[in-house]
Amino acid sequence: MGTLQHTELASMSYEIPELDKGYAGQTLKVDLGSAAFEIKPVTQDMKETFTGGKGFDLWLLWNAVRGETKWNDPENAVCISSGPMGGTPIYPGSGKSIVTSISPLTGSVMDSNVGGYFGPYLKFAGFDALEVSGKADGGNVLFVDGETGSIQLLHMDGLPEESYALSEALTEHFGGKDRKKVSVVSAGPGAKNTFFGCLNFSYYDGKRRQTRNKQAGRGGIGTVFEDKGLKALVVKCTSFSVDSNNPADKDALKACAKAHTRNIVELDPKQNQMSQGGTTFITMIMNDHDLLPTHNFRYGQHPEAKNLGAEVFRRLFDPGFDGCWYGCSVACAHGVKGFVPNTGPYRGRQVFVDGPEYETIAGVGSNTGIFDPYTVLEINFYCDIYGIDTISFGTATAFAMDCFDSGVIGLQQTGGLDLSFGNRWSVLTLLHQMAAGEGFGAVVGRGVRHMKELFVREYGADAKFLQDIGMESKGLEFSEYMTKESLAQQGGYGLALKGPQHDEAWLIFLDQVHNLMPTFEQKSENLHWFPMIRTWFGLCGLCKLPWNDIVPADNSETEEPAKVIGHMKLYAEYFSSVTGRQVTPDDLVLISEKVYNFQRLFNLKMGYGRRAQDQIPYRAMGPATVLEYESRQDRYDQELSDKYGLDASGMDTRAKLTALREKREEQYEKLTDAVYARRGWTPDGIPTLTTVKRLGIDYPDVVELLAAHGVTE
Amino acid sequence: MITVDDQELEWFEGMTVTDLLERIGHQGPCAVVRVNETHVSRPRFDETPVPDGAEVYLIPMIAGG
Repeated sequence: MGTLQHTELASMSYEIPELDKGYAGQTLKVDLGSAAFEIKPVTQDMKETFTGGKGFDLWLLWNAVRGETKWNDPENAVCISSGPMGGTPIYPGSGKSIVTSISPLTGSVMDSNVGGYFGPYLKFAGFDALEVSGKADGGNVLFVDGETGSIQLLHMDGLPEESYALSEALTEHFGGKDRKKVSVVSAGPGAKNTFFGCLNFSYYDGKRRQTRNKQAGRGGIGTVFEDKGLKALVVKCTSFSVDSNNPADKDALKACAKAHTRNIVELDPKQNQMSQGGTTFITMIMNDHDLLPTHNFRYGQHPEAKNLGAEVFRRLFDPGFDGCWYGCSVACAHGVKGFVPNTGPYRGRQVFVDGPEYETIAGVGSNTGIFDPYTVLEINFYCDIYGIDTISFGTATAFAMDCFDSGVIGLQQTGGLDLSFGNRWSVLTLLHQMAAGEGFGAVVGRGVRHMKELFVREYGADAKFLQDIGMESKGLEFSEYMTKESLAQQGGYGLALKGPQHDEAWLIFLDQVHNLMPTFEQKSENLHWFPMIRTWFGLCGLCKLPWNDIVPADNSETEEPAKVIGHMKLYAEYFSSVTGRQVTPDDLVLISEKVYNFQRLFNLKMGYGRRAQDQIPYRAMGPATVLEYESRQDRYDQELSDKYGLDASGMDTRAKLTALREKREEQYEKLTDAVYARRGWTPDGIPTLTTVKRLGIDYPDVVELLAAHGVTE
Repeated sequence: MITVDDQELEWFEGMTVTDLLERIGHQGPCAVVRVNETHVSRPRFDETPVPDGAEVYLIPMIAGG
């Protein structure tokens, strides 16, 4: 251990268990308020019903909180878990962790997935999940030492404020010469002073001899972390191998891992080239299809978008084969070496920037009207080290800029900041203000929903207009895809459990570009299957990129190419070989349905989870302003005449806007009906008792919850 | 000569991505084509030339994100 000064608040020793078929068989609960530890067994029912990862997190959180619990109450917990396949060092994308908590943005349960080493290392140290509740005075560091079987809660002074530097310092302190064995979770000052704080999960980059970080960005879990007085979570593990998970059938595991790895290695260089450019290739594809959010989701295209394309960032990235977990052949975790910020505490100093990925480029770049890649890098860097989610930062800032552009707010409200779209200096100032909890940055840092309420209450803004252009649902800011022309993706966002994040369903191309699901039945079927299968990855400790961002060479010849069934078969073999539960690809849907519906019920428990919460702002459905309508007038006029039989020739733009809106809102409601029916939910969006029983999640408190909402069948 | 998904195809002067897809009789979804190091989206298939010697791969891009 290094020389950083610390005071031990509590400690305990434990016996490190042998893992069995992907499970350590126990979870660790830490109460910061009483400085107490508790080791709890993982039951067979937990494994069969919740599988692991997000499922375990949800179960622990469900039992930790009441329906009245607020995000900053001591009983709220930050839960972290990987999953039974998490930590497999030979299968691509097997190092994910899922974090859950009650969100400051939504007031309900939030989940966020992240790479880095923490979740797998935690399991190898002996725990399938970690649950941290209670509150401390600040500066607390939890250290789980999987080499010696000891847990310490420490108070440490003098640690760096910013997350990157903190990860580096703690990795050195606890790792010594074995820094690869350490992973750190931390947030930062921006997480403390906004509602959309993120968590950085570290991993040690041996080639560059520095810690790297991946972000659990969505929903403000970093804010909860800071509010608890946590400075960092640190785990250290021993050496590990493919045997560490003690898989049920190692030969079968090796076979499917080899087959999937071969596909990635052979096909990624031919397809998306993520090992060279990460997800940056998406930017120009989105722009060409009118799907890249620009100027607060007004439009989907911009002539300067090429400045943010893959060709630019591939030149900036430090070359290397950069995976965020061992054995991942996708290797998409790129970064920029020697970047020199123009502003803030690191002004003029060379830094390493982890990223950017597509979401950051679109969020802090095109959506705010910034098309300078170096500014995107600078915002990316400061968001990360301050512990701020780049997606919510981008969408919330874009909303503030839209309000500035529309005259809803002016220089008086922004404290003199000119928030015109594209003003990079103002955006950077706003970001530094957020980290300090000062100025107009502190206002934007509370999120779009808070800004809408404030601007109406304090500045007399038109509530209906702000509802139309404020890109949030359930309190969470939209991630960075335009959905105006894809009804299915409107559902993909609006009907998602935690809010508008694309990790549940990304159906834009299937729907809008290829028109492969023209009917409500087809859309609803896909809004069942895709969210379920995507949920499954989060239960197992897996990244979904190897599934369908790289597809087998013969994929187009399969019956349903979108499902990439060739890879789904490998995943079923992977699950079977590790856990010993023999499954088919269809079984994976059922595995996920249990957890998916449980999360919906969790929302209900917290006072949400009904149809009223599944609404989305109109700008996600269609043109919210005359300007937007007229920018794509031919498209909209044609829809009015061809699809709805309306003669638009005698109508002015405002009348056409109203007519189109009526039709599109009607479509969204019909889609909602169809999806609820397919998922086995009531017309109000609540899982029926029949559904709950079919899935085996009819626990007494669940049945009681349903009955309290009049659901008895 | 060019290659399309590792198969050789005769090239002609002025060939565009649209020409290429017609020439190979491509059926089914194809939103993006990679021509050498550049990803070309469907709205640009008509206007994008394919140079002689190009290495081309078809990318369905149907369920990413």
